[in-house]
Amino acid sequence: MRALDKKLFRDVWRMRLHAAGVALVLACGLSVFVMAVGMRGSMERTRADYYAERRMADIAVSLVRAPDRVARALAEAPGVQTVETRIAGYALLDLPGVEEPPSARLVSLPAQGRPRVNDVVITRGRLPDPTHADEILLSQAFANAHALDIGDTLAATLYGRRQTLRIVGIANSPEFVFVSGPGELFRQAERFGVIWMGRDALARAYDLDGAFNDAVFMLGRNANQVETIRAIDRVLDPYGGAGAYGRDRMMSDRFLSEELRQLSTMATFLPAFFLIIAAFLVNIALGRVIATERSNIGLLKAFGYSNAAVAWHYAKSALIFAAIGALLGSFAGVAFGRMVADLYRDYYHFPRLDFVASPATFAGAWAAGFASAIAGCLFSVLRAARLAPAEALTPPRPTAFNTAGKGLAAFAARLDAKSRIILRRIVRFPRRASTTALGVAFAIALLVVARTMPAEMNYLLDVNFGVANRQDVTLTFAEARDVGVLHEVGRLPGVIYAEPFRIDDIVLHHNGRTVHEAVFGVPAEARLSRVIGAAQAPLSPPVAGIALARALAEKLDARVGDEIYLEQTRGRRIGAHVRVTAIVEPMLGSSAYMELGALARLMREPGRISGAHLLMDASDYGAFNQRIKETPGIAGASYVAQAEHSMREEFDQGVGMMNFIYAAFAAVMAGGVAFSAARITLAEQERDLATLRVLGFTRLEVSYVLIGELMALALLAVPAGIALGTVLAIWLMKLFQTDMYSFPFVFHPPGYAFAVAFTLACVLTAALVVRAGIDKLDMIGVLKARD
Amino acid sequence: MRAPTRLKAAIVAAVRRLSPIKGTQTPIAHKSLMMSFAPPDAAAEPLFALRGVCKTYGQGETAVRALVDVDLDITKGELMVLLGPSGSGKSTLLNILGGLDRATSGQVRFEGELLTALSEHALTLFRRRHVGFIFQFYNLIPSLTARENVELVGEIADDPLSAVEALELVGLGKRIDHFPSQLSGGEQQRVAVARAIAKRPAVLLCDEPTGALDVKTGVRVLEALQEVNERYGSTTMIVTHNADVARMAQRVVRFGDGHVRSVEVNTERVPPSELVW
Ligand SMILES: Nc1ncnc2c1ncn2[C@@H]1O[C@H](COP(=O)(O)OP(=O)(O)OP(=O)(O)O)[C@@H](O)[C@H]1O
Ligand SMILES: [Mg+2]
Repeated sequence: MRALDKKLFRDVWRMRLHAAGVALVLACGLSVFVMAVGMRGSMERTRADYYAERRMADIAVSLVRAPDRVARALAEAPGVQTVETRIAGYALLDLPGVEEPPSARLVSLPAQGRPRVNDVVITRGRLPDPTHADEILLSQAFANAHALDIGDTLAATLYGRRQTLRIVGIANSPEFVFVSGPGELFRQAERFGVIWMGRDALARAYDLDGAFNDAVFMLGRNANQVETIRAIDRVLDPYGGAGAYGRDRMMSDRFLSEELRQLSTMATFLPAFFLIIAAFLVNIALGRVIATERSNIGLLKAFGYSNAAVAWHYAKSALIFAAIGALLGSFAGVAFGRMVADLYRDYYHFPRLDFVASPATFAGAWAAGFASAIAGCLFSVLRAARLAPAEALTPPRPTAFNTAGKGLAAFAARLDAKSRIILRRIVRFPRRASTTALGVAFAIALLVVARTMPAEMNYLLDVNFGVANRQDVTLTFAEARDVGVLHEVGRLPGVIYAEPFRIDDIVLHHNGRTVHEAVFGVPAEARLSRVIGAAQAPLSPPVAGIALARALAEKLDARVGDEIYLEQTRGRRIGAHVRVTAIVEPMLGSSAYMELGALARLMREPGRISGAHLLMDASDYGAFNQRIKETPGIAGASYVAQAEHSMREEFDQGVGMMNFIYAAFAAVMAGGVAFSAARITLAEQERDLATLRVLGFTRLEVSYVLIGELMALALLAVPAGIALGTVLAIWLMKLFQTDMYSFPFVFHPPGYAFAVAFTLACVLTAALVVRAGIDKLDMIGVLKARD
Repeated sequence: MRAPTRLKAAIVAAVRRLSPIKGTQTPIAHKSLMMSFAPPDAAAEPLFALRGVCKTYGQGETAVRALVDVDLDITKGELMVLLGPSGSGKSTLLNILGGLDRATSGQVRFEGELLTALSEHALTLFRRRHVGFIFQFYNLIPSLTARENVELVGEIADDPLSAVEALELVGLGKRIDHFPSQLSGGEQQRVAVARAIAKRPAVLLCDEPTGALDVKTGVRVLEALQEVNERYGSTTMIVTHNADVARMAQRVVRFGDGHVRSVEVNTERVPPSELVW
């Protein structure tokens, strides 16, 4: 080994605590990076494999009724490779011991063989026997939620007839990776299941012998989806086709895409934090080393090492730190990824999901680690390179302190001498002081972000359940019904008030942009389910015109006053120009809102509604539930209080975990920075602190000089951290904004208080650990040596 | 028993009244008055009493015996010079007297109190209340000005001199708002002296205070020490390699191999300005 390399390893060994700090911080960031990027890749691959293996539909359509022969016309539509016609519907289920009836999506299985599109994966049991009408496959998530298994039975009301169904298999399907019931705002595994059963049995139940009401398609290569959809719609128009749609409107796939997008956000956001902090730590550590190595640098240069060689020598130690961090981060990332993969697999019931991070992912992590180390050491290394050998060999000029500006001098005059020492050092080494302060500010910011996000989510739930949706139950009909049905609904036991609504799929056009979205029809005097406007206040729906969710308005580039073109997704695709009268902030979904009657007229279904929101007398719940279980034509009953409870429960669990992880990350950040800074302060001031001890200052008083400097910087960091955290929280909220959620920024003072208090506690802890060095100060040794 | 102290205090007060505090001129003229106190009153209770003090560094084969069975009484108010070859244990003795280090065995009493029995914290308080240190390398705090370096100890003393007073006493009335890096070695050492005397310590421990200085500045520092010794009655111990400095002392202790080789009383003292290097 060359002498210089020996020195390198000695240097690294000497800086081992700093190295450990850098490596730890990098490992945190890069493990998140490896996990998130790897997870994204793994999920994408899993999804692609799953879709390919089970022949996931590219296009789906539902219709009223078409004879089986129409299937041939569909198969011949341009671009269609495979078509599977089905019978599908919704039903309320009656499970023993479950009072509120969950709903289920019923899907027929072909009379022979397996579905050619949207095939199922049977995890247990077998396919239903076509000759046994009562045999079904049940979706795994639902079965698990209710502890149902093969051999169990459940009852469903199918077209007015109560039927007992027997579970012969548990299954999953790419079509239903993520599902939520009709009228439900969130996924609740126990509230919505999928039932696959024989086609004949379902045809009999729905009175669809020799006919179908649903079709799913796979596209051939080079197919033009838009054209194919048009062709399908043309074929199905006479049969009440509701408009074919692609994967972008299939809830399950759409949700998975959002999940993938969030993984990408996570892959950039958190690691960026840590890379910056690691750069700070490298900067602090190497700055110190190069300052103490002046004469060595001079010697090396005097021996003939080039400036570049000297710079490289010092840069290498930073790169060694980074390599250790990247190595740790890679391993931790894989471990972390495997854990998350298990969670995802259980949640989504993927047939398999192995965490595999690609070589490119690791390469990216290592490159990022090295980049952070180089950024951190650049300044010090360049200074080493620039140092002239003659200058380096002379002893360093003593640090020149000065009394700085007038204002500061006046301030210093009012301090005691120990505080003055602190102040002068901060002013004298502004770059290092600001590096330390910034590092602490980042930790505060991270916690502000971490605490603001749950507050935003909470707020979303508060507004959604407290202001927007005040109904107790939402009934969704299997198909649009005449508004007269409200009287019947009103007569159900316990119903105090029933409020109608519509929901339709439409295509919106504006400025050459086209968006396929849902539009809600809300009565003018809505009391239960209301549109949320600015500042989360309820808003009356526009009497004429349309209100757009902000996200939708942005997609359409539409402003209040603009005229947009609405088009039916089905039939003759009747359209109309409608004026945008308001931009609203629903937070959930990115739909459009119209007055109920106006929407029905636009859809050419005057007087028809999709369901009703109900205000209930709680004492009659039992009778109500019993009645709706027996009532045909109800696709789903959503219980708002129950939904809120389960949503909050799931959410609180997630937040608990997240708070823990973020607190740990912030502790590593703040602690790492504070520890490094404190150790360097101690090293630099060893002589002064020992002198203070000699002069008769107690350990406590001397500790104040060390800890005070750090705490002063940490306090300076507080406003910066709060500001940075707020900006990042707003930015992140934008990043996380999806078609499904949009968050308003919520100022959450307890979150800020926690962020500041926790970070300061971390800094203090690090300072106290380093402080132990004061007890070991060599008072006698320091007197012998010239400084 | 306290009579001599009280008498001395009265005289110190008289001297103080006579001497102008303002101005940089050192009032050496009153020295002759104090000279009458030498040789010290042997009957008075000593400030420090050392009995059988040993200090051994390390163990076994490699053990170094820095002090061996030292018996020594140090009288209140005296100015003592310690001489001896390098490694003979002078600094070790000073460090033990100042509460920076502990004797391995034997007893060290300060005003009758057993220093060797004090806790670490009590030793810190002892240094804080009674001891002024002056070192070869000044040991000033670089981020504090001359004035602030002196104020630093004023903050933890009972009845300190003002920083300006202390600095004027050592002839540094002008450059008080300079940082150590802006002062010469001699000036820095005088700041250190001012810092040591500002709390009017019972004892001034000076380890080679002129070691890094030239003759002229060395003399100024010694003059300042003598001034303080006379004015405030601070017992002053000066370790030096310069045998001539011994001529300004009341007593001279010679060290060799950790032993006290001799203690001499100067019958005639010479002011620092007449010392030759
Ligand atoms: N921390 C220590 N560990 C081991 N030996 C020590 C230590 N400090 C001092 N010594 C030894 O004790 C002896 C006395 O040292 P001391 O510093 O008291 O000498 P000194 O008389 O002050 O010498 P000098 O005139 O060179 O300053 C020396 O032999 C020295 O090597
Ligand atoms: Mg010595």
